[in-house]
Amino acid sequence: MEKRFELNASSEVLSPFRKELRHILTQAGWEKKTTEEILLAVDEALTNIIRHAYQGKPGKMTISVVATDDKIEIVLEDLGQKFDPTQVPPPELPRHKPGGLGVHFIRTIMDQMIYDDQGLAGNRLRLIKHKKKI
Amino acid sequence: MKVLLTSQGDIQVLELSGELDYHSSPDLREKLTELTAKQAPKILVNLAGVDYMDSSGIATFVEAFQKSKRYQGRLILAALTPTVRGVFEIAKLDSIFEIAATVAEAVDSLGAKI
Repeated sequence: MEKRFELNASSEVLSPFRKELRHILTQAGWEKKTTEEILLAVDEALTNIIRHAYQGKPGKMTISVVATDDKIEIVLEDLGQKFDPTQVPPPELPRHKPGGLGVHFIRTIMDQMIYDDQGLAGNRLRLIKHKKKI
Repeated sequence: MKVLLTSQGDIQVLELSGELDYHSSPDLREKLTELTAKQAPKILVNLAGVDYMDSSGIATFVEAFQKSKRYQGRLILAALTPTVRGVFEIAKLDSIFEIAATVAEAVDSLGAKI
């Protein structure tokens, strides 16, 4: 299953997009707990685009979702300022100050977080999670 | 997300429902800031109706928790759904916050004075 979304870089789009992605993950056979975790990871990546790449200014976010039997791959692209979340250092936990947990959530939940901005004016982030073999 | 503020004796109860994310967390932050600004001694947040929470929700609670500690206030989170509890666990914050299994347990712990 492959689906592509183009969204405005605005916080209003987050909840409706989660609904779409939840449906895709459920259809692809992901269990509820992992589905909710993947939703959180993607949501944090989108929030980072809104906050850091576009800094609250208008812009577009493109999301490609590819769900196969054994994994899900989500590719997020934007045309905002360069922001490479893979360079964000891990936070000290438990964190006593607000903020700084979004990238930690993505790293903890997804198997791979790959940043690649080659040939792009903005950013491209690939998030991959494999299904556990039973 | 909906935020409803009521009181039970001297306990300020915030009842939340819906999704707590980067879009909705400013509403919650505003309510919690009002309570900590007037140094509410006992704040109970009922999360039974919250089925989704992201890091901005966590950050909002961390901020309010730190503010309440500065004036020796107490903030308890109650009735977390499994999804929301999972987010606290990934952040390793389940050991930092006061978390009660139910609203009744939180009220008992805070000891409401009517």
